[in-house]
Amino acid sequence: MKPVDLWRHEARRAGLPALLGPPVLAALIQLLAVFGASLGSGEENTRWFPMSALEMGVPLLAGVVAATLPGRDPVAELRLAIPHGYRPSLLRRLAVTLGCAALCALAVSVTLMASNWWTFPYGGAAGQLVWLAPALWLAVLGFCSAAALRSTAAATSLVAFVWTGEQIFGGALADNTAYRALHLFATTSWGSDGWPLNRLVLLSTALLLAVVGWLLLGNAERVLRGEPE
Amino acid sequence: MRIDVSGLTKTYKGGARALDGLTLTVPTGMYGLLGSNGAGKTTFMRILAGLLRPTSGRVAIGGHDMATAEGRLAVQRTLGYLPQDLGVYPDLSARRFLDYIALLKGLHSRSARRRRIGELLEVVALSDVADRRLKGFSGGMLRRVGIAQALLADPRLLIVDEPTTGLDPEERIRFRTLLAQLAGDRTVLLSTHIVDDVAQTCRSLAVLAKGRLAFQGTVGDLVSHAYHRVWTVSTPGPAPVTGRVVSALPEGTGMRYRVVAAAPPDPRARPAEPTLEDGYLALMDG
Amino acid sequence: MIATLRYEFAMQVRRPSLWIVYALVFAVLIVALPFGSLDLNDYEGSVGRQAMSVAAQILVSLLPIVYGCMLADRPSRDRVLRVDGILDATPSGRTARLIGKYAGVCAATAVPFAVAYFGRALLYAVVEGQPSALGWAALTFLASIVPGLVFLGALAFAGPLLLPPMVFRVLFVAYWFWGNLIPAAMMPTLSHTIFSATGEYVRYGIVAPPPRAASGPARRPCSTSCARSRLRSPPGCGSA
Repeated sequence: MKPVDLWRHEARRAGLPALLGPPVLAALIQLLAVFGASLGSGEENTRWFPMSALEMGVPLLAGVVAATLPGRDPVAELRLAIPHGYRPSLLRRLAVTLGCAALCALAVSVTLMASNWWTFPYGGAAGQLVWLAPALWLAVLGFCSAAALRSTAAATSLVAFVWTGEQIFGGALADNTAYRALHLFATTSWGSDGWPLNRLVLLSTALLLAVVGWLLLGNAERVLRGEPE
Repeated sequence: MRIDVSGLTKTYKGGARALDGLTLTVPTGMYGLLGSNGAGKTTFMRILAGLLRPTSGRVAIGGHDMATAEGRLAVQRTLGYLPQDLGVYPDLSARRFLDYIALLKGLHSRSARRRRIGELLEVVALSDVADRRLKGFSGGMLRRVGIAQALLADPRLLIVDEPTTGLDPEERIRFRTLLAQLAGDRTVLLSTHIVDDVAQTCRSLAVLAKGRLAFQGTVGDLVSHAYHRVWTVSTPGPAPVTGRVVSALPEGTGMRYRVVAAAPPDPRARPAEPTLEDGYLALMDG
Repeated sequence: MIATLRYEFAMQVRRPSLWIVYALVFAVLIVALPFGSLDLNDYEGSVGRQAMSVAAQILVSLLPIVYGCMLADRPSRDRVLRVDGILDATPSGRTARLIGKYAGVCAATAVPFAVAYFGRALLYAVVEGQPSALGWAALTFLASIVPGLVFLGALAFAGPLLLPPMVFRVLFVAYWFWGNLIPAAMMPTLSHTIFSATGEYVRYGIVAPPPRAASGPARRPCSTSCARSRLRSPPGCGSA
């Protein structure tokens, strides 16, 4: 078990925006719901927005943060010369930021469930997969592509593209079985039909991507080369 | 901690060969590694630090084979490394930066860490500015932070890559004195292209040229390469065309040149006492 | 300014990750959207100018995200590489350098975009035997796509100077989705207005008429407009 001091350092290295983003988003989601309700927006509509914001907002934040973490680190060479100094510390930073996002998402989903705004058939612990599966998938994609392309901008572009593309292709490819299993936002797109399988596929593919990213970051020569300018 | 290197070759993607069949033994104590820019010194240092894998050849440090993950891990546990381009987190103070590196190096006890960091800040004479942010530090101060972090875990092997580049004369003297004091029973490998740094601190050294070992021996051996090959020429005219001009000093209406050449470069040339720099140049010129 | 422009252009255009990301995104677009057939149902694919409008519509739905993200790290590059001091010491003014950098980086980042668009136009002109399509493509690109890219370039340049880069990236993606893609029926948005960076108004005004009124989401099964119409709208909210 690593000391708390080390986690505190890693949290600081992850950066304030990465830690403040999730609570701000959580507050915005709740405000959105309250604002929608006070405007007299249709109940279905009002219910749909917080769920969508939870399912889409948390993953976007997680993906962009994760894509930023392996980027240019001035101390990379030094850390690479320390046993377990590079990859594990990146993982700790990722864990801190994703943990923060997870806590906020959990708070929002609990609020939605408690206020009866959560109409999705899966609730409780299983219901957390609404945001957890796409958030992990996009985070791992960002992390892995940052390691592969050695560029924060490129990794962010891919995360942004996948996130936006999923909104656009979700309708066009609704009949494609393979795509249905991999669609990030299946909860608000198609409801509970095939949802457990979709979440399972997302989590498994995220795990595979994570292994690829881990291996790529183990190549110190690639890390030292940095992004080709 | 002895370093044994045999047939070490490193070819980068794209075909650039940084090291070409390097065979070398580094004993305990202060050891200099000289070479011009691009000679392969940094690649060699990075291989020793376990950052790069050689294309071929064998490296053993203190009996640990660097080709194995266990060997690299064992070496890194006893290693203090100061890279050529020491990056820091500019928003951290020197103390906090050292605290972070100490934690990464496994110094988990807060009190032991504080004590060690305090000692090292004293050693590198940074106690007064320990709580200032690193972004305000001069190049020399940052190099001293670098040496402090390298010493955190009391390493048996210290690898310092171009540590005095960009330092003012006072900082350079302070820095190399510190390194020499640290040597003791450690192995300190000092890589540099500044000949004077090696001359002032090392008894033994190696010279790399284009990835190959050009020389291995004592400082005296390298100086001996320039015996009877160093000349001074005072002339009002242009510099001698033969040999390598080491220095040019205005003198009255003319110039006094110091030249390394196999034969007197000018009828007025007088022999001079060689230095390590002359020996290095004589070696490089063949 | 010209020297900065040329330098920045060269540095950005030969960045491997720029081409890799564009290639990946373009490949997905080809698979998922009808960039091969240009069949949006709303237009006559055999009419060159309408086909070029459709090609623009498809590309402009997603490639600008890559465009904005890929150039957002360029303004701070001089500082990161620690060459800002050297550049400040040159006789060229900061404003001229900034303009040169902006123009060079934007132009370079738009090159893969232009290659994808004009490549399709050339293919269309050859296959359909309509060389005039190249003219329509040039007009559409200049009048409809370039203004959007100029705006996005400025946004991606200024944003990271005002906000932490990570925050800017998230907001940029959110802006693109909200301000350019989501159906207007869903919430108040810049999408489908004259402020949208997708250049719809210009395309509809100059190159091709607005799409025929859709009778339902099924009418436009595979296009960016279909994509928009099929954006995951709330139950009962209807589609754009």
